[in-house]
Amino acid sequence: MTTAPLTIDPITLEILHNGLRSITDECFIALMKSAYSTNIKERRDHSATIMDRNGQLIVQAEHSLPIHIGSMLGLMHAVLKKYGREGVRPGDIFVANDPYVAGGSHLPDVNLGMPVFVAGELVAFICNIAHHADIGGMAPGSMAGGMTEIFQEGLRIPPVKLFREGELQQDILDLLLLNVRVPEERRGDYFAQIAACKLGERRLKELIATHSAPVITTAFEEIVTRTESRMRAAVATIPDGVYRFEDVMDDDGLGAKDILIKVAVEVKGDRINFDFRGSAPQVQGNINVTTSATQAAVCYTLKALLDPQVPNNEGILRVAQFTTEPGTLLDASFPAACAARAHTCQRIIDVIIGALAPALPDKVVGAANGANTTAVFFGRDPRTGRDFLYLETMGGGFGGRATKDGKDGVQVHITNTSNLPVEAIEMEYPLLVDSYGLIPDTGGAGKNRGGLALRRVVKPVGLDCQFNGAGERFRNQPWGVFGGKPGATGRFFIQSDNGDVTKLSNKPDTTRLRTDQSLVVETPGAGGYGPPAERSRAALEEDFRSGKFSAEFLRTHYGFEPGRLAGGSGEGE
Amino acid sequence: MAWLVGVDVGGTFTDFYAFDDASGQVVLHKTPSTPDNPARAILAGLQEMGKAHQLDIGALARLAHGTTVATNALIQRRGGRVVLITTAGFRDLLEIGRQVRPLMYDIQTDFPAPLIPREFRYEVNERVRADGTVLKPLDGDEVKRLAAMVRAVKADSCAVCLIFSFLNPAHEQAIARALADAAPDTYISLSAEVQPEFREYERLSTTVLNAYLQPVMVRYMRELESGLRAVAPKAALGINQSSGGLMSAERARRFPIRTALSGPAAGAVGAIHTAELSSRPNVITLDMGGTSADVCLMRNYQAGVGYDRFIDGFPVRLPSLDINAVGAGGGSIAWFDRDGLLKVGPTSAGAVPGPACYGAGGEAATVTDANLILGRLSTGGLLGGRMTLDVAAARRAVAPIAQRLGFAVERTAHGMLGIVVSNMVRAIRGISVERGHDPRRFSLMPFGGAGPLHATEVARSLGIREVVVPFAPGILCAQGLIVSDLKETFVRTALTRLDAAAAAVIGANLAEIAGAAADWFKSERVADGDRHTQASLDMRYVGQNFELPVPLQPEEVAAPNLDALKRRFFAVHETSYGYHNPHDPVEIVNFRMTALGRLKRPEPPRAAGATAKPAPVSNRPVYFDADTAVSAAIYDRRALAPGHQVSGPAVIEQLDATTLVYPGDKLVVDDALNLILEVTT
Repeated sequence: MTTAPLTIDPITLEILHNGLRSITDECFIALMKSAYSTNIKERRDHSATIMDRNGQLIVQAEHSLPIHIGSMLGLMHAVLKKYGREGVRPGDIFVANDPYVAGGSHLPDVNLGMPVFVAGELVAFICNIAHHADIGGMAPGSMAGGMTEIFQEGLRIPPVKLFREGELQQDILDLLLLNVRVPEERRGDYFAQIAACKLGERRLKELIATHSAPVITTAFEEIVTRTESRMRAAVATIPDGVYRFEDVMDDDGLGAKDILIKVAVEVKGDRINFDFRGSAPQVQGNINVTTSATQAAVCYTLKALLDPQVPNNEGILRVAQFTTEPGTLLDASFPAACAARAHTCQRIIDVIIGALAPALPDKVVGAANGANTTAVFFGRDPRTGRDFLYLETMGGGFGGRATKDGKDGVQVHITNTSNLPVEAIEMEYPLLVDSYGLIPDTGGAGKNRGGLALRRVVKPVGLDCQFNGAGERFRNQPWGVFGGKPGATGRFFIQSDNGDVTKLSNKPDTTRLRTDQSLVVETPGAGGYGPPAERSRAALEEDFRSGKFSAEFLRTHYGFEPGRLAGGSGEGE
Repeated sequence: MAWLVGVDVGGTFTDFYAFDDASGQVVLHKTPSTPDNPARAILAGLQEMGKAHQLDIGALARLAHGTTVATNALIQRRGGRVVLITTAGFRDLLEIGRQVRPLMYDIQTDFPAPLIPREFRYEVNERVRADGTVLKPLDGDEVKRLAAMVRAVKADSCAVCLIFSFLNPAHEQAIARALADAAPDTYISLSAEVQPEFREYERLSTTVLNAYLQPVMVRYMRELESGLRAVAPKAALGINQSSGGLMSAERARRFPIRTALSGPAAGAVGAIHTAELSSRPNVITLDMGGTSADVCLMRNYQAGVGYDRFIDGFPVRLPSLDINAVGAGGGSIAWFDRDGLLKVGPTSAGAVPGPACYGAGGEAATVTDANLILGRLSTGGLLGGRMTLDVAAARRAVAPIAQRLGFAVERTAHGMLGIVVSNMVRAIRGISVERGHDPRRFSLMPFGGAGPLHATEVARSLGIREVVVPFAPGILCAQGLIVSDLKETFVRTALTRLDAAAAAVIGANLAEIAGAAADWFKSERVADGDRHTQASLDMRYVGQNFELPVPLQPEEVAAPNLDALKRRFFAVHETSYGYHNPHDPVEIVNFRMTALGRLKRPEPPRAAGATAKPAPVSNRPVYFDADTAVSAAIYDRRALAPGHQVSGPAVIEQLDATTLVYPGDKLVVDDALNLILEVTT
C-alpha cells in the first residue's frame, strides 16, 4: 500500500460518493423488502449506513429516518471499545440495541454492524438499524407507556457477535428469539438485517476492487471534512450570540407534569453548541431520551434550518455539538424507560427552533404539532377468530413559515410515516373509520397561520376492542413565532352513539371500546408566524371560504368580518 | 398500399415515423412543434412529409399518436374547474393524502396544493362496507341537491370518489345519473371507472386528475380529429397510454390521465420491437434526451409494469411501464455544490437558450458542450448539419469550472461526463440490482439524441458487455407508436385467501373481467383472431402491504391450479425480496386482465447485405480519456450495412444521434441495421 498522502479531486469524489450512496440505498431497500415487521416494511423505520474503520458515519441511505443518524455511532464505539480493532475479525456481525451500553435510542431499534476487510485490513463497517415490531418486555410491541425502567421495556442487548468469522452464533440467536413475541417473524427481521449487511459488504468490496482501499479511505475522510466545512460555513451565517428558549412536555403518563426542556444555543463564528443543562431530571415514564436520540434531534434541526440537502455523515455530527447533564430528561441514565423518546425529540426540535428564531427569522417555523400521536387498537377479530393489533401514528399541524402558512394535517420533523388507507384498515381489521379530516380553527392565527390538526373517528365492528394511546401537546399549546398565535391542543375521547362523551387522559392506558362507541383522536394544530394583523385579506377570505376557520375565530383573532361569499360550501358544510 | 404513421410530439420537435406495409419503405420526418396547439404541427408535418416523399397522405391507414397535451396542461395548471363529490367525513383526504411531507429535512417544501379548493369538495351521506354491502344508503333528494349545486357553480368536470366504490359502484353510478340530468355539459369521472382498486387516496387523486384533464383532452381530440378527417379521412387514430399501448380517441377523452406518462412508454415499446428484431430478450434501455434520461428494464421482451407514480407531485395509480427517470440529459448543467463537489444536472439549459455551443445565448456549461469539447460531437452538429455547434463558446462555458478545479478544459469536460454517467448508473441500479436483477445479464439499448454518446461508459460501469444502438435512436418513440397494439387493462379488487375455496372465487372474478374485456373488444371492433388477453393476480403474504404480480397461464383462467399459483408467487417473491416462506398464508388482492387488440405490425426495415468495407468519411481527434486525444475514424451511419464491422476508435454519425466506438471496442451491424457494440471490461 502507498504511504504518500493521497488527494482526490472533486470529480472522482462525486463519482465515488454516488457509488457509496448506491450501496446504502441498495441495502436499505433490500432490508425493507425482506423484513417482516410492519414498522420496517411500511413505515420505513430503518436505516442503512457505511461507517469507517473508526466508527465514523460516512454515508446514510437517503430515506433513513432522522432519528437514526446518531444511533450507529454508539454501537460502533461500544464495539471498538469492547473488542478493540484486533478483536474485530472478517465475517463477524455485531448486534446490539441497548441505550445505556450500546448507544441505542430505544430497545426495539436493533442495530447490526459488519466489518469490511480488504487484504487483511479493516476498511469500513456496513451497518443497519431496524425497528422490530416486538423486543419483549411487559407489553406487546414493546412501546407501551406505564413502565418505569428499561428492564420492563424489553430485551437489552449489549454489543455481541451474532456471527463469529462467518459462523452464525446459534446460541445467541436462540437467546434473542426466546425473549420476543412471535419469534419466527423476528427471525425474519434478523435475517433481513444480516442479508443487508452481507450485501453491503459484497458491494463495498466490489467498489474497493475498482478504486483501491487507500482511495476509498481517503474519500471517506474527504466526504466528512467537506460536509463539515459546508456545515460550518452555514453556521457562520448565524449571528454570534447565545440564544435561549424553553418549553415543557405535557407529562410522562405517570404523574410528572410540565417537564422542562431548555436550551442555550451558543454561536461563535463557525462553532455552535446546544447547551441543554438546566432541563428537567429524568422521569419515571418512558419519554426519557438518551444522548444518541438527543444528538439526532439536534442534527435534524441544524440540517432542516441551515441546509436540508447536506449529506448525512460525521461532518454534521462534528458541527452539532451539545451539552447535557447525565440523569436528565435529555441524557437519561440507566435504568430510565425511553421507548417513547420520539415525543421528546419533537420537543427538543421545537425548543431549538424557538431559540434560533431571532437569528434565523426566514428559516424558523411556528411550533408544529410536536407529537407522535399514537393510537393502538387490539382484540380478537370476530370474522377470523384471530387476534389483531393495529397501531397508527398521526400527524397534525405544521408551524407557520416566513413565506407561507403551515401545512395542514402532516407528519412533522423527526417522523414522516404514512397513514394506512381507510380501505386497507377496514378490510384487514374489524374497525370502521367514520371520518378522517382537518379540524377547523386549530391552526394558530398569524401573518402565516399554523396548520390544522387531524381528527380520526374509529369504531369497532362486531366486537368490544381495546384501545391505548399516547399524545403530547395535549395540554401545552404549540406556540407561534414573531407574534403568531398558538395552535390548538389535541385530545382523545370516547363518543357513544347516544351522545355521551368520555374524556381520556393524554396517555391513556388500555381502555375498552364498545360497539356502540367511537374513539376520537384529535391531534394538535400548530403555531402561526408573524402578527395576525398582518395577514392579508385574501388569505382571510380563503380561510373562511374553505371552511377551515369559522367566522367567530376570524373575528376573535383577526377582527375580520367575512362578507357573504358566492360559490362553494363555506362554513359548516 | 397502406401507410402507418407514428407521431411523437416533443417539446421542440414533432417526430414522424412512416411505414408502408406494402413496399416496406420507411420514411422519417421531423418538424418543429407547435406547443400552443400540437395538432397544427402534426397536420402540417403529415402534409410536408407527403410532399417531400411522394406519399399519399389521403390513404393513411393509421395514425398512432403520443401526446403530452395532458401532462403539459397539468404542469401548467391549465386544466378545468373541477368539483368533487365524496363520502361524508372524507373531503379533506385530497389534501391530507398520506400525511407525509415530500422531503424529510426540507421544512419549506410541500406537496402541491390540491387541484380542487376545499369549498368545492362536497360530501354526500352514504357508506359502503369493506365487504361491498351498503351501511348507509344514498338519499335521492340529497343527490339531486348536490347535482344542482354542481350546475350552479358551473364546473367543467365533476370527480366522484366514494369509499369502497371499487367493490360496489352503485352509489357513484347513481350520482353520475343525477349529474347527467342536472348538468349535462359537465364531464364526469367516476373513481370506479378510472381505476377501480383499493387505497382510497391514490384512487381519489387519480380520479381528480382525470376530471381536471378531461376538458383539455376533449378540446384537443376535437381539433386533431377534425383536422385529420380533412387530410387523411381513412386514418384510424390511436392514442398512446402510459401502459405502452394505444387507445381510441373516445377512450382518451374519457380517461385522459392515461396519457400522462405515455411519452417514455412509446420509447420502451420501440425498444422492445428493436430488441425482438435483434433477438435480444433481456435489455436495459437508456433514453437520454435534452433534460432527462429514462431507464427501463425488459425481461423476455417485456417491460415491467408499475402502478404507483407521481405526476408533477400528484400520486397516480394506473398501470404504467416501470420507467425510472433521472435529471441527466444533453442540456444538463454543471455546477459546484456547497461542499465544493462538482454536480451535473438536474437543472437543464433546455431547448432555449440551450447549451452554450448552440450560440443562442446559453452560458452554462452543459453535457453537450463537454461532448463537443472532447470531439465526440461534430461541430457540424445535430440534425444532419442544419445547425452548427460553436466549440469556442463551449470552451468559454467550461473554462471557469476547469479553472476552479485546476484542470485542463478537456479533463474537466471528461469529468462532467463521468458524473452524468454515474447519475445514470445509479438510476439503472435502481431498476436492476435493487429489484433483484443482475445488469450483467442484460444488453444496454441507448436511444434518444444523447443516449448512444454515453452508453459505453454506462455499460462499463455496470459490467454490461453489449450495447445495441437502434436504427433510428432519435425517433424510437415515433417508431414505437406504430408497433403498439390497442390495449386496455381491467382490474377487480377482492381480498381472497389462497385456500380451498379460492379456486371458485378466482374463477368468478376472472370471468367477470373477461366479460368486460370481451365487451371492450367488441366496442373497439377488434377481430377475433387479433384478440389476446393476459390475466395476472396481485398476491402477497397475509399481513403484507406490498403486492406482487403473478401471471396466470391462459388455461388457468377458467380452472386455476392453486399449488402452481402459490409456487409461482414464491418464485416472484424470491426474485423481488430474496426469500420466501412456504408455510405462510398467501392472499390475492387484485385480479387483473390486460386485453390486447393486435394491430398489423410493420416488417423490419430491409437492407442489402454488406458489400465492401465501410469507408470513413473523415478523421478527427477525439478524447476518449481525460488527457489525450486519438484520431478517430468518422462514419456516416447511412453507409453502414448488415455485416459491416467497425473497430474503435471511431464515431458513427447520423441524422439524430452520435455513437462512440471506444479504442479496443468493436461494432457490428446486424440484419435489422442495429449497431451491436461489444464493450470490453
